[in-house]
Amino acid sequence: MTAPVFAHIGHWWTSILYVAPVVVVVVWLGLQSWRAKRRDPEKR
Amino acid sequence: MRRRALIAAGLVAGLALALPAAAAAHGLVGKQDLPIPRWLFAWGAAGVLIVSFVALATLWPTPRLQELRERVVWRVPAARALEILCGAIGVFAFAVVVYAGLAGSQSPQENLAPTFIYYVFWVGIPFLSFLIGDVFRLFNPWRAIAVAAAWLAARVGGRDALSEPLPYPRALGRWPAAIGIFLFAWVELVYVDRDDPSTLAIMALAYAAVQLVGMSLYGIRPWLRNADPFGVTFSLLARLSPLHWRDGRLAVRRPLAGVVALDPRPGTVALVCVMIGTTSFDGFSMGTVWNDVAPDVQQVLMDIGFGAEVALQIAFTLGLLVMVLLVSALYRLGVEGMRTVGEAHSAQELARAFAHTLVPIALAYLVAHYFSALTYQAQAMAYLISDPLGDGSNLFGTASATIDYGWISANAIWYVQVGALIVGHVCGLILAHDRALALYRDHRAATRSQYWMLVVMVGFTSLGLWLLSAASQ
Repeated sequence: MTAPVFAHIGHWWTSILYVAPVVVVVVWLGLQSWRAKRRDPEKR
Repeated sequence: MRRRALIAAGLVAGLALALPAAAAAHGLVGKQDLPIPRWLFAWGAAGVLIVSFVALATLWPTPRLQELRERVVWRVPAARALEILCGAIGVFAFAVVVYAGLAGSQSPQENLAPTFIYYVFWVGIPFLSFLIGDVFRLFNPWRAIAVAAAWLAARVGGRDALSEPLPYPRALGRWPAAIGIFLFAWVELVYVDRDDPSTLAIMALAYAAVQLVGMSLYGIRPWLRNADPFGVTFSLLARLSPLHWRDGRLAVRRPLAGVVALDPRPGTVALVCVMIGTTSFDGFSMGTVWNDVAPDVQQVLMDIGFGAEVALQIAFTLGLLVMVLLVSALYRLGVEGMRTVGEAHSAQELARAFAHTLVPIALAYLVAHYFSALTYQAQAMAYLISDPLGDGSNLFGTASATIDYGWISANAIWYVQVGALIVGHVCGLILAHDRALALYRDHRAATRSQYWMLVVMVGFTSLGLWLLSAASQ
């Protein structure tokens, strides 16, 4: 069922570029959380 | 909790990555000649959202929209007579559509019913609701019939002729509306006979019958405010309008202020997620991979024993459900993220408190997805109104009119669509920020709580642009 998806990768690979902004924001949030945790270990 | 939110974010992002390119079923677009690649618009939109988020965090320190203030600017003369006239027009239009569907040509292109229901009614009224307020309430045919019946019963049998309506179940809230819109979307996107004029006419009659029974049981106002799927949806979108018609008066209010006052009763989040999810599936269902996957799912269902047609409809139903669930999951991600701030707000409380932030997104999706269809298909009304049955009549002399596909360029359509998506999501951010300021103990906690709503908004924007982009290829 998934074979056609990868067989036609040329048709949809640019779709990945649309997810990039979401990934960037999520990574940025993860970094913020990590930094906040390092600054204040008492914080969850 | 934070880890759970991050895992959820990863899952949603992963799911989005797995989604294929899609095209819009009702998005009619010509060849575009854009100066930059389409995906760059998604990046630009995300940039606008991030800048808006930072600007809100620094320049908007106190709640400004939580108090609804309206100013009456016009007292409508002969308001009661106008209401009766509008109701009569609504009933007449309903009767014409049903009659055309039953008695006219059964070709969807020649019959008034499919174009009127899918474009003028389902797409046109939301646009009007946003621009000039809740006009559907005035023209609502089943409301007009119910009001007329109640008036007649009171005149004939006196005030005691009608028994007290049952109390509308509070727990039911807007769930009937959410289920009703899902069923309408199912007919529009899944049902094989969706364009058949007589089938549509019979469904319209069945819908009207359900509404009339509901109003007779629970009262006109409670039913219309909760359970009439179209009435509830259109009035929800009309809350975004700066114009508010009430009791024969026209009032103005700040843009977005109307939706802040939305009562988040049960089913409200579900209704908005259904609106966004079904619009998304409309585009997604025309995509390359869905059209690769759907036959396989259909085959599996046929192996179980279903017929080819039923199997395909089940496959599409599953796709529709998955898209609605994906949209709900994205919103749930934002809610779970807000809970990481540490204040004791339950997920249900937060989900309801921020439900109104999804309304401009639902409208943005609607505009982005159906703008082109509306601009073109609404023109078909010029000839359909002269020949509603498709029998060759020419009532108003416009039967030979045609659709002008050249009046607006493909690029202009694209910019309107992108603009709608960006403005809709910035409005969502503004509403969420303002509500967070009212809900959290300090400005810093409120801003931190909105990190996750930013992810949700960027996610919805990217999804919307991706669907549009594929439709334009």
